[in-house]
Amino acid sequence: MSDIVESWKKYRRPGYYEQYEYHWAMVIDLDRCSGCEACVVACQAENNLPIVSEKRFHERRDIKWIRIERYWEGEYPDAKLRFLPMLCQHCDQAPCEIACPVAATYHNPDGLNTQIYNRCIGTRTCAVYCPYEVRFFNWFTYHWDAPLEQQLNPDVTVREKGVMEKCTFCIQRIRLAKDAAKDDGRRKVRDGEVTPACVQSCPTEAMVFGNRSDPESRVSKMLKDERAYKVLEELNTSPSVVYLERAHG
Amino acid sequence: MSKVSRRDFLALVGAGSAGVGAGFLIAEADKRPVEQFIPYVVTPEDYAPGVATWYNTVCAQCSAGCGVSVRIREGRAKKIEGNPLHPVSQGRSCALGQSSVHVLYNPDRLQTPMKRTGSKGSGKFEPISWDAAIDQLATQLSQHGADLHLLTGAVRGHLHALLEQFLAVVGATKYVQYEALAPDALNAANRAAFGSDILPYYDVRNADLVVSFGADFLGTWLSPVHYSLGYGHMRRGEGRKRGRLVQIEPRMSLSGANADVWLPARPGSEGLIALALARELLARGRYTGEDRAAWEEALAAHTPDSIAERCGVDAARIGALAEEFATSAHPLAIGGSPESTTTNSGAALLAVNALNYLAGNLGQPGGVLANPPAPIPDGRERRGTHDSARKLLLDAQGKTLIVRGTNPVFSLPVAAGARAALEKVDLLVSISSFMDETTALADLILPEHTFLESWWDDVPEPGVGLPVASIAQPIVAPIYASRSFGDIVLALAARLGGNAAATMPWSDTEGYLKQQWSQIYEQRRDQLEQPTFEAFWREVLKAGVWGESRAEPAAPPVDVEALRAGLAWNAPEFDGSEEQQPFVLHAFATAGFHDGRGANQPWMQELPDPLTSVVYGSWVELNPQTARKLGIEEGDVLEVSSSQGRVTAPAFIYQAIRPDVVAIPIGQGHTQYGRYASGRGANPFELLAPLADATSGALALGATRVALRKTGHRVKIAKTDGVSRTLGRQILGPGGHDTA
Repeated sequence: MSDIVESWKKYRRPGYYEQYEYHWAMVIDLDRCSGCEACVVACQAENNLPIVSEKRFHERRDIKWIRIERYWEGEYPDAKLRFLPMLCQHCDQAPCEIACPVAATYHNPDGLNTQIYNRCIGTRTCAVYCPYEVRFFNWFTYHWDAPLEQQLNPDVTVREKGVMEKCTFCIQRIRLAKDAAKDDGRRKVRDGEVTPACVQSCPTEAMVFGNRSDPESRVSKMLKDERAYKVLEELNTSPSVVYLERAHG
Repeated sequence: MSKVSRRDFLALVGAGSAGVGAGFLIAEADKRPVEQFIPYVVTPEDYAPGVATWYNTVCAQCSAGCGVSVRIREGRAKKIEGNPLHPVSQGRSCALGQSSVHVLYNPDRLQTPMKRTGSKGSGKFEPISWDAAIDQLATQLSQHGADLHLLTGAVRGHLHALLEQFLAVVGATKYVQYEALAPDALNAANRAAFGSDILPYYDVRNADLVVSFGADFLGTWLSPVHYSLGYGHMRRGEGRKRGRLVQIEPRMSLSGANADVWLPARPGSEGLIALALARELLARGRYTGEDRAAWEEALAAHTPDSIAERCGVDAARIGALAEEFATSAHPLAIGGSPESTTTNSGAALLAVNALNYLAGNLGQPGGVLANPPAPIPDGRERRGTHDSARKLLLDAQGKTLIVRGTNPVFSLPVAAGARAALEKVDLLVSISSFMDETTALADLILPEHTFLESWWDDVPEPGVGLPVASIAQPIVAPIYASRSFGDIVLALAARLGGNAAATMPWSDTEGYLKQQWSQIYEQRRDQLEQPTFEAFWREVLKAGVWGESRAEPAAPPVDVEALRAGLAWNAPEFDGSEEQQPFVLHAFATAGFHDGRGANQPWMQELPDPLTSVVYGSWVELNPQTARKLGIEEGDVLEVSSSQGRVTAPAFIYQAIRPDVVAIPIGQGHTQYGRYASGRGANPFELLAPLADATSGALALGATRVALRKTGHRVKIAKTDGVSRTLGRQILGPGGHDTA
């Protein structure tokens, strides 16, 4: 038991992935984001998110790994609407990870907060601990009306009742890019070779994804932007998703 | 073993890159697909289990004509992305475009031709064979060919030329294209100002101030993906100052939500603000042409103070905007969305064109650039309005009508009487992939391939300043016994025999397109690198797009006299009286449903509306003041009535809508159209009065007055948002946002 705790601690040290090759991060420019929700559908298509029905929406059982949050400011006629794309923040100090009794959610060497479906026993503790509310529990086994199931992405597991799920930063795309780099005789994935589905679709190019360990990558440069901030930073979760604040206009 | 020999199997799989399963037994689709594992001894080209292939084609979910790349695994479509080579989408895609796989794999697709068995509109049909269906239609056409009427959605490219050829050969002339959300008023204003209704290229990307007169260019206007790309660059492109956006509209659209300044002007008053902006340009000496004095005289009356009352906007705000417009380096004015069309929109859009002209925008970066004529046919001469569609339907009574790609029963105002007219058509043929409201009235239903299974070519509208054409190819083998529109026309021609068969000898649309494109190749052979047509064709298919990659920006030729002469403002007219119907209805398009066609796609039903987060249903947007006054709370079911009809939908309190306007989204309220769409929400077309813009005849979607009545019922609106304020948390950044 003490062995497990010791090795567990090793992975709980913030920034441990710096000894590895990649630390994936995402930057979202709120001055570009138009709130069009192309990313929401892109994620649903790529990651086999279920179609849950109107009834389940009423019960708040819908599953969207990325959503657009809306915040109103001011009153008519000066009402302003602000958009905030919200997805798993892949926190370096993730509250969900320490909470899971079976280590179904853990930090991988790429700096990703990952969910192991086979290990998950469905206590839903992680979702309670997550301050961003980006973890979704499968209360039901969903089905797709034939032949909609033909669209399902074979690279991504279809989840069933009893497991928790959330954004993976499209880990299947990261794997493919790594394999391609390896087949190519290269050691590392080049900047821009991995794009999660949301980033790929974004019509305003508001989202950028890349390796924070590479100082030359686009995300590394954008992280230095003076508009950069993290949502609920005061909780010390150290998110891997960094937002660029919208300019006041 | 199955009845399919191994050789046949490989040939079929190779030809269409289809996978195992339901896909390959095209001719035997009424039997259960063979379920056997057959190992590949020789793997077909482009097929490796576990390896994705990408095919480029064109999206047809709206009229923008974005090039898309479809990811195929084991013969099935998995994911739609923008085609990075295509100048419109540039690798990006919108929500509705990505939902195209739900058109392809929709559980409610029509699978075989059907013939009506009950009375008209009874919904009773029986399956028939393709031969019988083509026979029935061909027999009718051979006897009454000249009586053929054709109503389609937008048809561009060589498919349009094929239709013209077919109509000519059967002796018919009646052919109208009706798109409910086509920018008819804008096209007319451009025809008047620039001598052409080819939409110009609005260079949002390089503007430093965009003033949008009701054009939701980030959500639904013309080409949302392309304008979104431009918008992102305008805001935060490298090495440039942040561009600004001002949106003028009665109800905040997606673009309005992104604007720095949102001005809720009265419906129909946008043109006045354009005139005031133009006046300020002259007052500040921005325009230096010799005819300056004439312009000044024409615009003199439109001071901010004099128009403020009519616009319902503070004079100081109009003045500040006018000053900013006059002093910006690259200001750009855009306008002309269907939902903001009122009876005076033609004049307003002419004023917007004048504004761009006076600002020196024509042909300039960040301005208005001319689009060259399309390199292939584009069908614009057949584009019609709601009124020409209505007349065609009336004219088709007792005759033959083919409807394809448009749904007049759903998307024409009730006063057009589409349903009654269609019931009197002698032979109503619907070519459709789905049982929509119009198809349900048909005598003969021909199931059409979805656009992802068809061959066609296209011209993006608006273009991107370059002569460009796109090629759409089937990205998977057809999954049902449907046929493409082109193939149906060719089969009819073959069956008619004689002149039709002789002049239209192609066995399928692919062969027809190849022949047309070989002429393009021959004409430009000396400029092209490819030594043979086959090589050229392969390259074009691979890229999904063909055209010039560079062109000098050109100014649209402008008719200055017409522009100045058109500078008038007439008060908008509204159907109904202010006393009886105190609110103006704003029926607006949403990015998910477009003109209603997205409603049968479950991803779109489950996509939270970008502005309200509502899913699955319709709602009536009310200003909080209005709601308070009437004692209405969210979820109160309201009856909204106009002189034309009434619909019911729950109230939604929307922070950014004028107190004298109520808004209902377009797209829901289907009575047919499959399990996801039918019986859900309300269709605002049932309320619209048939008023039109005075100069263009475009349907005035924003010109109907309505009354509200509480029904006493209350429902819970399905939505995803909870608290709508940040409550002091710095969620939107540390910059000191509103903490109310």
